[in-house]
Amino acid sequence: MVEPTWLLTGAAVSAVLGFGWLALAMDTHWEQVHGDAAPPPSLARALRLAGALALAASLGLCLGADHPTMAVLVWLMLLAGGAVAIAATLSWQPRWLRALWPRRVAAQ
Amino acid sequence: MFQNFRLSMAWLHTWFGLVLGFVLMVVFFFGSLSVFDREIDRWAIPSSRFAPQPMPSFDTILKPAFERMQPDKDAIALLDGRVDGPLPERFEVVRSWGAYTTHRDPVVSVFAGFEVPRAKDPDETVFASHALDPRTGAVLPQGQLRVGSEFFYPLHYSLHLKWKDLGTWIVGFSALMMLAALVSGVVMHRKIFREFFTFRRHKTVQRSALDLHNLTGVVALPFHFFFAFTGLVIFAGIYFPVAHTQLHALHELHERVEARETGLPHERAGVAAPMASVDAMVAQAQRRWQAKGMAGDVGFVYVSHVGDANAYVSVYRAGTDRVALTGEGVHFKATTGELLREDPPRSAVDSVNEFLTGLHLQHFRHWLLRWLYVLGGLLGCVCIATGFLFFVEKRKQQHAKAGSAGSRVVDALAVTTVTGMLVATMAMLVANRLLPESLADKGDWERTVFWSAWGLAMLHAFARGGALARARMNPAWREQCGLIAAGAVTAVVANAVTTGDHLGRTLAAGYWPVAGVDLSLLATAAVAILAAGRLGRRAKATATGHSPAVLATAEARHG
Repeated sequence: MVEPTWLLTGAAVSAVLGFGWLALAMDTHWEQVHGDAAPPPSLARALRLAGALALAASLGLCLGADHPTMAVLVWLMLLAGGAVAIAATLSWQPRWLRALWPRRVAAQ
Repeated sequence: MFQNFRLSMAWLHTWFGLVLGFVLMVVFFFGSLSVFDREIDRWAIPSSRFAPQPMPSFDTILKPAFERMQPDKDAIALLDGRVDGPLPERFEVVRSWGAYTTHRDPVVSVFAGFEVPRAKDPDETVFASHALDPRTGAVLPQGQLRVGSEFFYPLHYSLHLKWKDLGTWIVGFSALMMLAALVSGVVMHRKIFREFFTFRRHKTVQRSALDLHNLTGVVALPFHFFFAFTGLVIFAGIYFPVAHTQLHALHELHERVEARETGLPHERAGVAAPMASVDAMVAQAQRRWQAKGMAGDVGFVYVSHVGDANAYVSVYRAGTDRVALTGEGVHFKATTGELLREDPPRSAVDSVNEFLTGLHLQHFRHWLLRWLYVLGGLLGCVCIATGFLFFVEKRKQQHAKAGSAGSRVVDALAVTTVTGMLVATMAMLVANRLLPESLADKGDWERTVFWSAWGLAMLHAFARGGALARARMNPAWREQCGLIAAGAVTAVVANAVTTGDHLGRTLAAGYWPVAGVDLSLLATAAVAILAAGRLGRRAKATATGHSPAVLATAEARHG
């Protein structure tokens, strides 16, 4: 039995990661983060998929920590927090998001 | 009237958002504070700074306290004109006793309802209520205000306008229009997904304010929607008062039928009778919950028809471990302790209603969700505040040229409701710590300080609004940020000096209610200082002719 605290921490991290990947799949944000035009379409698809999966995983972790009625509330609020965190990072330190999808140096 | 649907939605969003935004700002901010109302109570009343306690023994602690209770002068004053003949010295017939506590309460709230002799409405009840130290049964000093649960929380839903529930109606109407604003906002927003993460803080104020408005509105949309909606559900009984207006007779009949079905007497028998041990009934209720697999603490004990042969005791479970505000009530005959009834499983409609109200009222134990609610509330505040800024920025050049005062007035009101509200809050907390504990009606003084400070903040905002006529920013924003920071730091220092509970001690002892309020005040001060600094640099840059956008870009390059 995992401690609820760890499950919820995981859920919060997943929410941030999920929105990070969803943002990177968007042309403008990819450019902000990596400095060049846009992710190749296949990569954009992969990022979107990874983002969606991470958000779903976040819900799963919330459900593991709490009663379903409570878990849904926690998840929706974590989504709000995660989205704000990514938006703020894109506004202040977009390069930090390179950590979510580092590109090979050769590609630069 | 409008060329298309989107324009009509824009009109609705702009004008209703502007007018009701001032109300909603108050609702969102004090709602956010109400998430931690009990903790603010601890901070404001040092004698209640001890660990949360379970419901105390009824027989030894609560009963003697109830027997001493009588309505205070304010409650009696409300009876003015509602009674034929003089009021009695002492209210003898007790309709009900109630004791309520949660997992966050060191003190237990107790109230007693009394029959009013010769009242025009035979159902008229006058109430007495206190906060009680459950360890000793001592009543906390009267006249002291539980700032969180007795001031900030009612301000959140009633604006403290009690006359004919006017405040509750205004808040309800605003919540209803907020639902409309959310829908119209989504309709107006052209790039809801493309700009989901967008905050271009280096662009013009107008642009960055709109980005932030959209961002905070969209990411917390489920929160905004659910809280506006569930707030309306909670007060549905006030907004649709059919049970006590058109359908009064039916309502009475229903109560009687219900009483017959449940076996819980609707009326007094008129025969005095002593009470059996309530502690034994509480113990039995807890055994019954345990048998159902829901062992739990007692949240609420209620005695109806006190002192009468028909008296009965209702014991409800604390809703610590679930969202729904369910009580799993167990009812006993007060004279004998015989089980009268156990609440049946809830119907689907009841379950939904209890989930919706529980979601909003949050009596559960979940600290992360509590903080996330604060985040949601503050995102709502940012959304409304940036809405005001956008409104003003969009029009101020034009109004300045035309000599119109429109944006000046809106801006001054925005200052009043955004920073002015915080100034008032800080003033109240400082007053709470500096006014002597022995002062009679200390709570009334604190209220006076709050409203006066808010009034002064408003005067200040209007007095400094001249800058708008030159299409500049009102310096009151910056000056009030400074006041907020000063007030917050003063409150923390005053708490340390007057109670000795400085952060070193509360953090070391892990006494989070007080440490948390202090830390939140310091965080507020930090944000206010940062904001004042930014606004100061911008004002200087504008004065020397650089546009804010240029300054911001320069700042970013060097930053």
